[in-house]
Amino acid sequence: MDIRGLLLANSEDSGATATAPPATLDVAGKSTLQRMAERLQQYGISSVSAVVEDAPSVGVRNFGLPSDVTCISATPDRFWRAAENAFNEMAQNGAELVVLVRLGAYAEADFEKFVQFHIDRGGRVTQLASGPQKLEIFCISASRRNDAASLFRTQLSHCRIECPLYQDEGYLNLLAGPRDLRQFAIDILTRQTQTCPAGKETRPGVWIVGDAKVERGARVLAPAFVGSMARIRAGAVITRCSSVERHAEVDCGTVVENSTVLPFSYVGAGLDLAHSVAGMGRIVNLYRDVDVEIVDPKLIASMPVASGKRLLASATDVLTYLPRLAWQGLFSSAKAPQPDLRETLGQTSPVLGNAAGFETSACDTEASHKFPNMVVARRYGHQ
Amino acid sequence: MDINSRPVVVKRMPERLNSRTAREFLRDVRPFLAADRPQLVFDLSLVAQIDAAGVEMLLRCMSEAHKRDGDVKLASLSDQAAVVLELTRTERLFEIYETSTEAARSFSGFLPNAMRQQLLHNKRSTQPIAA
Repeated sequence: MDIRGLLLANSEDSGATATAPPATLDVAGKSTLQRMAERLQQYGISSVSAVVEDAPSVGVRNFGLPSDVTCISATPDRFWRAAENAFNEMAQNGAELVVLVRLGAYAEADFEKFVQFHIDRGGRVTQLASGPQKLEIFCISASRRNDAASLFRTQLSHCRIECPLYQDEGYLNLLAGPRDLRQFAIDILTRQTQTCPAGKETRPGVWIVGDAKVERGARVLAPAFVGSMARIRAGAVITRCSSVERHAEVDCGTVVENSTVLPFSYVGAGLDLAHSVAGMGRIVNLYRDVDVEIVDPKLIASMPVASGKRLLASATDVLTYLPRLAWQGLFSSAKAPQPDLRETLGQTSPVLGNAAGFETSACDTEASHKFPNMVVARRYGHQ
Repeated sequence: MDINSRPVVVKRMPERLNSRTAREFLRDVRPFLAADRPQLVFDLSLVAQIDAAGVEMLLRCMSEAHKRDGDVKLASLSDQAAVVLELTRTERLFEIYETSTEAARSFSGFLPNAMRQQLLHNKRSTQPIAA
């Protein structure tokens, strides 16, 4: 039987957003799009196509999909038309059943049982559900083009016939926001899912992709993941189910705890990133449930996705290093002289004030008249 | 010696705390920091953006205050400020309060009370015993 897979990945809001579809975001080294394509192939669905909404480059060719997966890129306004065309093309090329998955949610469904259920019921369209939650995963008889068309034209919200539901009890993550994204990383690293982190398990619970660079003195404590071309600088600590995705950089002395560093993100030196998803110039703190824009590139910054630009930036950094040092040496303010210990010991502490026999400036109402934008909030005592 | 006569100064911080505004802010509070045992409360409720220069300025204020046996306390932290202070590991260096009033009140807390008790004890011991 010719069974094919069709994956759809687009942003929730079909407006002209500059962000990539969430399904193309890496979690522990692979996007959900990539994981779902691999899962379909594991179930013997060898011919898989993906329709992905146009987005700024994610820095990896074909969204990291296996080479035998056809990837079709579509603008947001043409996305559903492209999906319908892809389905029709599959039907014309001899497909009998099409497993349609829209990401979003990541479900580890048993596709074999799902397809068998569809065949046994002799239905046209079967939908997958997990408990009360209906998922955007369908098994469609390819000959029923009108039913498929009604699905695509309503953005999978409505089918012209009533779809039988197949209940699946496998792992499910709705991936509806940063909290789910973080939970997904934790579930992958703690092996709650069947899907694994990318790369090699170098120590129990520590997954590091071959070309990642963990500098001497940096510590990666299980469970943790370091993605391809990521760089962990000396003294940094990656711990508690943290995931540093590809091309990300964690600078010296920074502690990344229970956090995800998104691809192409830089986390500055000496920081403490905890319970957060960081990247694209933002931090989503899950503990406080707040999304904060970070404008200071010393704290969180985005790195160029294009390799040429990254190379240029690195080259500029190297070439300007010595001139910058020379400039700082020549023009920075002179260092404060080191206080002489004997002299310092001889001085009276300013804390003693009038009692020590010298005047100290008073921080009182006179000063607050002088500086109107300051308020004396409260006075204590008898004055 | 009167331990309760010193004022508590509450200063609301600007919405954006970058190197320029941090410099201006420091210039504003410097006279207060130069006082004997300064007691300052910075209200961060309006802060929507704070960068490394802003954090550095806060640390500088704290250091100046400590040099003169005073203290700087933070109050009403906005989410943005709280996240950046946590990120830069500076939140543990400051006493942080829900409101400016609580922060101001805290200056009359543990240490002055202890000192007050000592003063009362000293006063009693120096009073002439009634005949």
